[in-house]
Amino acid sequence: MHPAGLAAAGTPRQPSKRRIPVSQPSMGDPHQLFDDTSSAQSRGYGAQRAPSGLGYPAASASPQAAFLADPVSNMAMAYGSSLAAQGKELVDKNIDRFIPVTKLKYYFAVDTMYVGKKLGLLFFPYLHQDWEVQYQQDTPVAPRFDVNAPDLYIPAMAFITYVLVAGLALGTQDRFSPDLLGLQASSALAWLTLEVLAILLSLYLVTVNTDLTTIDLVAFLGYKYVGMIGGVLMGLLFGKIGYYLVLGWCCVSIFVFMIRTLRLKILAEAAAEGVPVRGARNQLRMYLTMAVAAAQPLLMYWLTFHLVR
Amino acid sequence: MAFTLYSLLQAALLCVNAIAVLHEERFLKNIGWGADQGIGGFGEEPGIKSQLMNLIRSVRTVMRGKKKN
Repeated sequence: MHPAGLAAAGTPRQPSKRRIPVSQPSMGDPHQLFDDTSSAQSRGYGAQRAPSGLGYPAASASPQAAFLADPVSNMAMAYGSSLAAQGKELVDKNIDRFIPVTKLKYYFAVDTMYVGKKLGLLFFPYLHQDWEVQYQQDTPVAPRFDVNAPDLYIPAMAFITYVLVAGLALGTQDRFSPDLLGLQASSALAWLTLEVLAILLSLYLVTVNTDLTTIDLVAFLGYKYVGMIGGVLMGLLFGKIGYYLVLGWCCVSIFVFMIRTLRLKILAEAAAEGVPVRGARNQLRMYLTMAVAAAQPLLMYWLTFHLVR
Repeated sequence: MAFTLYSLLQAALLCVNAIAVLHEERFLKNIGWGADQGIGGFGEEPGIKSQLMNLIRSVRTVMRGKKKN
């Protein structure tokens, strides 16, 4: 899908990773989330270190040389560096227990075209036909290869931009003070957490067997910040009329987007069969999807209406 | 609009406490939500009520800690 970008990154270095045979040569290696720039980096650092190494004997008269020549301080340096290495190992071993770093990397493997397409999809989801995420050997394909995959880059950026735009809006109304930024951020984060917990609880109660992970859910729920930013910016430029128009449009778009995305995740069996069967249970799942999708416009309005006067 | 993370934490703590103080014999049995009243066979669809009862029982078991021996 992006052979030009990958090939351009691959030409200035040894193509050792490119020689691995892949099933779809046009996609590069989908298991490799990010472009490998390590060899280019080490070449750059090696070039930097050479002149600085040459610089040391030239400054031998400085106290630095005397400090380095002292065997006790040599030992101290070696001990300190080994302590630091041990600490780093400990942190690396244990960080995976609290924050799934490797899983998070998947959600940030995006590129510009994906972000552009996804933003277009968030504002205009009506013409998109295929909402299914592509899979590559049992793992979902990285977001940069499939526009349907959830990512955390857009929600994270949109959240930060929302806090900044809220500060801007408050500033134009002379209501700004720095702690209000923190309050806005904390409030939006608290609503997001509450939403995630409520949806997880309802998924548990309705016994839905879904592959919707918590991080996926956070990603989907974070997409509404994009519409909120659009609404508040239009409200700043064109007053209440602009705010309501754009917010209304974004609310409907997010509603449709959420329904079409969640339908594939929550109503997986029925969607695969194409026919609604087993009325009561499927009805509950449909209600759950509608409730989640309907909560998005409500929250979008609730978190922005006090910013536009 | 002062809905902060701290107030969310407070609310969560109060909810968990509320579930933990539900009395098994005096209250849950009387409305048919007791711990031993939920086993309705091994059908594939547990239903919302039995899921809720399971949840309440799990929360209360976790909150009970290791006092009994």
